[in-house]
Amino acid sequence: MFFYIYSHKIFFWLFIFVFTLQILFWLHTESFRHNYDIVPPAPSKQFINGASFGDKEFLFRVMATNLQNFGDIFAGFKSYKDYDYRRLYDWMITLDSLNNNSRLIPSVASYLFSQTQKKEDIYLVLKYLDEHSSSDIDKNWWWLFQGVFIAKKDLNDLDTALYFANKLAQNNATEAPLWTKQMPAFISEKKGDNCMAFKIIKNLIDESESGKRQISAEEMNFMRHFINERLNKLKKQKFDANKC
Amino acid sequence: MKSILKYIIKNGLKDKLYLGLFIAIFISFGVSIFLGSTMLVEQNQSSLVFVLATVRTILSFGIILFVCINITRSFENKEIEFILSKAISRENFILGYLLGFFISALLILLPFTLLTCIIFKVNYLGMLIWFTTTTIEILIVISFALLCSLMLKNSFSAIFSAFGFYILSRLMGMFVMAINISDPVNINSTRDSLGFSLKILSVIFPRLDLYSQSSWGVYGLSDNSFLQIIFIQSIIYLPLMIFMAFHDFKKKQF
Repeated sequence: MFFYIYSHKIFFWLFIFVFTLQILFWLHTESFRHNYDIVPPAPSKQFINGASFGDKEFLFRVMATNLQNFGDIFAGFKSYKDYDYRRLYDWMITLDSLNNNSRLIPSVASYLFSQTQKKEDIYLVLKYLDEHSSSDIDKNWWWLFQGVFIAKKDLNDLDTALYFANKLAQNNATEAPLWTKQMPAFISEKKGDNCMAFKIIKNLIDESESGKRQISAEEMNFMRHFINERLNKLKKQKFDANKC
Repeated sequence: MKSILKYIIKNGLKDKLYLGLFIAIFISFGVSIFLGSTMLVEQNQSSLVFVLATVRTILSFGIILFVCINITRSFENKEIEFILSKAISRENFILGYLLGFFISALLILLPFTLLTCIIFKVNYLGMLIWFTTTTIEILIVISFALLCSLMLKNSFSAIFSAFGFYILSRLMGMFVMAINISDPVNINSTRDSLGFSLKILSVIFPRLDLYSQSSWGVYGLSDNSFLQIIFIQSIIYLPLMIFMAFHDFKKKQF
């Protein structure tokens, strides 16, 4: 009887009570924040096989879109120095396993991720470019050149640049220009290894004169100019080409 | 059979199947082109892949819904009994429905494939193979949905069974990779029994993960051996579904 008479008041005060509980709960949990990873861990092989539903190319493109847009935290963008480059490297290798032919991942690595302010992270980008290009140097010579460029310009690491340049020079791609063969000479010359620079260019000239390699007149003039101009400088340093 | 074909196609118009799927696929086109255009390089390839994958998925799920709801409604409205009262065999009835649903799906897939070839820079041979394998995939999905709808009177059961079939078939590649039975004779551990169950599943379900690869539209077909597997699978699996449907439908009493 009591319940029927006072039920509306009972439910009203129960509502107030539960509402107060909600406010107390909010006060307690308001400081909890979702732990947001700029770069989440790369997915496992099992996850990829399952999530692709048989269409690996679609999964590759979706994940590549995510990779390119890591750091977009909806309220702005994060600087590359805050990225976990170890995880980025894992992502790039994983995506290469889905599609090794696409230029997308090496482009993102060379043109975007190499622009980090943390120099030590760039070595991971170079490590990826090296691994990606090694599968087919003739097809991926451009990324080896990017490795040379990034090592020289961003890191000022001529040893790493020379490593990439030597690999670049091994390519036999028909569309690759002659400077891919000359790159070790340019880097050696920057390093001060004049013997190596002289040797590489001289080898190319000899190959052309023996008919082993077709080199255009303009390229030939450039190489002769390279040697003459460097030789004049080297003469002042008493460089002896015969001692190379 | 011609009248059944016309009936199914007009049902599609009445249920706004074509309009609904056209709108859904059109929206997916727009979203795919937008997403693809945000890529640093290979915008065309990325948009193309997004379009192909979403068109295939939307069409497969859409046609499952259409088949299951249509058949269940036909049972409830006694339309099937009315059609069977005419001089039409049960086999012709099933084949007519199968062909009708297939033509309905083709009426949507074909224009979108042509539109894709016009808008994007595609590998034409790859697109032809993608289109062919997608139509075969949809035919397999339709035949299973038809079988489920004839066997299960409840439309929800039929829809979820067909969805489950499609998803499992698409995951079959992963299951086949995961099978690792150490001793096929003495199946003792839980892991072995699970592997054995997966092996049984792989016998029953088709390998739809090999069909309709988006990479074909971009790069063409690098490995022709897949085509052989796909076509042999289709030649075996479609008659299997059809004969099961014949057998079940013949036993039904109206």
